[in-house]
Amino acid sequence: MKQLRTNIRRIAFVLAALFALLILYGGYSLSNYGSRWFSTNANAYLRSVKKDVIPGNVLDRNGTLLAGSEVVVYQDGTLSWNRVYAEEEDVRRGTVHALGDSQGKVSNAVESFMASYLYGFKQNVWDRLSDFADGRTRQGDTLTLTLDADLCGYISRTVSRDQSLPSHVRGAVVVMNWQTGEVLSLMSFPSFDPAADESLVDRTNQPYFNRATQGMYAPGSAFKIVTLSAALRSPTLQNRSFTCGGTFLPDGDPAHRIVDYGTDTKEGVVVSHGQADLKTAFALSCNNIYAYAAAQMGDDFLRAEAMKYGFNENFLFRDIVAENSSYPDEDRSLWEVALTGIGQSRLQMSPLHLCLITAAVANDGVMMEPRLLMEAASSAGRTRLTYTQSEYRRVTDADTARTIRDAMLLAVNSASGTGGAAALPGWTVCGKTGSAELDGQENTNAWFTGFIADARAPYAVTVLLEDTGAGGTYAAPLAGKIFQWLIAK
Amino acid sequence: MNKRKKRQPDQKKLLTPARQLIGLVMLFFFLGFLLLAAWMRSEGASGWEKALILSVAVPALVYAGVLGIPRVFPGDRLLLSLTNFLCALGVLVLFRLNPDRGISQAFNYFVGVVAMLGCAVVFRFIERWGPLVVLLMGVSVGLLVLPLVYGSEINGAKNWVTLFGFGFQPSELVKITLLVAVCWLLSKRKTICAIGLTGASLLLLMLQKDLGTALLYYGTVLTALWAATGSTLMLLGGMAGAAGGALVGYRMFAHVKKRVAVWRNPWADRQGAGYQIVQGLIAIANGGLWGLGLGLGNPGVIPASYNDYIFTVICHEFGVLFGIIVLLIYLAIVLRGISIARRTDSAFHALLALSCSVMLGLQTFVIVGGNIKLIPLTGVTLPFISYGGTSLVSSLCLVGVLQGISARTQAKLRPPKAEKGTKPAPRRKGGKR
Repeated sequence: MKQLRTNIRRIAFVLAALFALLILYGGYSLSNYGSRWFSTNANAYLRSVKKDVIPGNVLDRNGTLLAGSEVVVYQDGTLSWNRVYAEEEDVRRGTVHALGDSQGKVSNAVESFMASYLYGFKQNVWDRLSDFADGRTRQGDTLTLTLDADLCGYISRTVSRDQSLPSHVRGAVVVMNWQTGEVLSLMSFPSFDPAADESLVDRTNQPYFNRATQGMYAPGSAFKIVTLSAALRSPTLQNRSFTCGGTFLPDGDPAHRIVDYGTDTKEGVVVSHGQADLKTAFALSCNNIYAYAAAQMGDDFLRAEAMKYGFNENFLFRDIVAENSSYPDEDRSLWEVALTGIGQSRLQMSPLHLCLITAAVANDGVMMEPRLLMEAASSAGRTRLTYTQSEYRRVTDADTARTIRDAMLLAVNSASGTGGAAALPGWTVCGKTGSAELDGQENTNAWFTGFIADARAPYAVTVLLEDTGAGGTYAAPLAGKIFQWLIAK
Repeated sequence: MNKRKKRQPDQKKLLTPARQLIGLVMLFFFLGFLLLAAWMRSEGASGWEKALILSVAVPALVYAGVLGIPRVFPGDRLLLSLTNFLCALGVLVLFRLNPDRGISQAFNYFVGVVAMLGCAVVFRFIERWGPLVVLLMGVSVGLLVLPLVYGSEINGAKNWVTLFGFGFQPSELVKITLLVAVCWLLSKRKTICAIGLTGASLLLLMLQKDLGTALLYYGTVLTALWAATGSTLMLLGGMAGAAGGALVGYRMFAHVKKRVAVWRNPWADRQGAGYQIVQGLIAIANGGLWGLGLGLGNPGVIPASYNDYIFTVICHEFGVLFGIIVLLIYLAIVLRGISIARRTDSAFHALLALSCSVMLGLQTFVIVGGNIKLIPLTGVTLPFISYGGTSLVSSLCLVGVLQGISARTQAKLRPPKAEKGTKPAPRRKGGKR
């Protein structure tokens, strides 16, 4: 009997633990994912409530109206509303992927992800009572975003008028403040005009898809930022000099040849960079040396570094829903590992994530959480939430970050660097180009990611233009124009 | 000190705050149904008069259940008040979902309370279980064979029987008969017989494809087995067997595989296989901490909202904090049952009280865990709250068993009247009161 009683007590503990598990897991998942569950377009309740609430306005950081509600009063006194957007078409097209539309065609944008504010779910009892007492229709909160409408309009205009780019070019642009994490622009191309009638929208190349946060791309040479960061940590690689002979065979198999950008074996053209250290090779974007370095470090070492930068991580940012980047988990051949070092071989990331990595390098190795929401205020004008910047995590130590910054500076400012097109006279612009090869695509995806290393204009810019060509030729000039606009402001 | 001494005879009863709370609970349900009546009237829905009737009837039932029963039977008041609260909550939520179901559940609740009282009396007074157990074993197996012979299939499981125009689920009733038989066998150290009986029942349940209930039987009997024998080897063996069975099931049956895949990522097929889980999670998120308010949400979109998914409806309209309180009430019921098990002097009654508590606890864990996506979803009801006569009656019978055992223990602890003034019967010190 005594033994039985002891056993029974133990079972009581187990059962109590099971219930604790229920409560803890429920609380954990609700606090982390609750707002995401709420804002999906599968939420019928949200759809039904939209009729009864006038959604709040959305403003940019300077107070420009991005989206508002035009109230229609019918003769019988009932109310209805239509969503109206910014006045300028370029601004509408430049902000629509961050902002979204009231029908939810762009998923996980402000209009849907922040529906709890816009549709008054953050209202407390007093707000509701005062609305009720005044006989007002319930009105949602006004949101002020970190976006810069003028900048978004400028980029949208620049891309649409650039004759060197194909029509309906696919791509993305992300502009962030690397000190605070504020997102100034989060754009995807091709874009569409949310104010236009739905039937008039040109659907070529999926305009509703937000490539900046949801698109998954091989980063190409832009990933060398991470490879360099890992190599700087490796005692055998950090200070040594390498020789680039034009081709590198990681496992001796001629089919697994790694060459540099511009090499054409059929034409007999071989690009080689000769003797270089890690920094110089970075500026030249030398594939041979970086693939060699990756093969030397091995998959586990490189993966560990990539994970510090946010690969294979479940991004749970407060304001932005971003697709998770992935670094392959399984055992791979040496050839594939070498390819990963130069950003190929099933490495996938979003333009937003590359911008975060760039911003972290600029910010001495501290990645800031990207923020989109600057302020939320109730319809009565009471501030409900104000912007707080917060560190997402430290990705590397300050010394390593500075070394990477020097290498990125060289890539833009040295005579043979690949990112020269983004340079600004009188400003320290750092950056990295990328030209990612894709099967079944004629041209490479052009990448440029960089920042102004100056506290007067602490901005990081990431540009992706799909199927255009070299990053230095297509993406870097656009980034240069954005930098120009940012310092002129 | 003096006060403590004065209350000495009373301390043998489990002290409860029931009396103070019961007024509040009755007010809660009175206001709840009143609110529903007002809401239904303003919506122009028919049947708001029924809500008015229930606003009186349900608090009356709660009153009778919590304070009336102890007048005729020396039951455990804490257990009574907690279970009555949950049952009445079920009636309220079901009435909000569908007035007819609410009314019918109120009737089930009444029948359940009577059945609970019956079970309590049986387990208070019957001492010689030996001959009865043989009968119960036969009844258990017989009841489980019934749906296989002429049952009807509902939601993929063939576990429903209609007899004389009265539909019920035998596996719910077998919960009690099987537990009684298994616990008696275990207390007599007839372990092999207990395992054999359980194995046969599980097999029959598998044939009915009622995997959720099979899981509950398995977990409960395994726990009782371990408590009785203290054999870690058997426990590990049982767990390994369950894991192996799960793995084989996963490999062999496509629908099990699909269910696991849906559990891991319900969003991948949010309009199809993952619809129920996704809508449940969204409903909880819509409710937030404080809930949308009774009648103000749209729980109708959740499949099986009145049954397996009723917990998400509670979170949706009453809020997650209230949901946590409901879970804590279940935990309190389970722990109370376990404390009853620890107080009794007979191994059989201790094991039985333990099994009843574990059954209720596991069932709650399995369905709520499935609702919040902690574990893959298995279709079992939420005790006391889910719609369904058999389920409610069997849950209340489990509580009735606990009541009977508690009353039996109290009667044994009370010194016989002839020896008034002598020391009370020895009991373990430090036991929970």
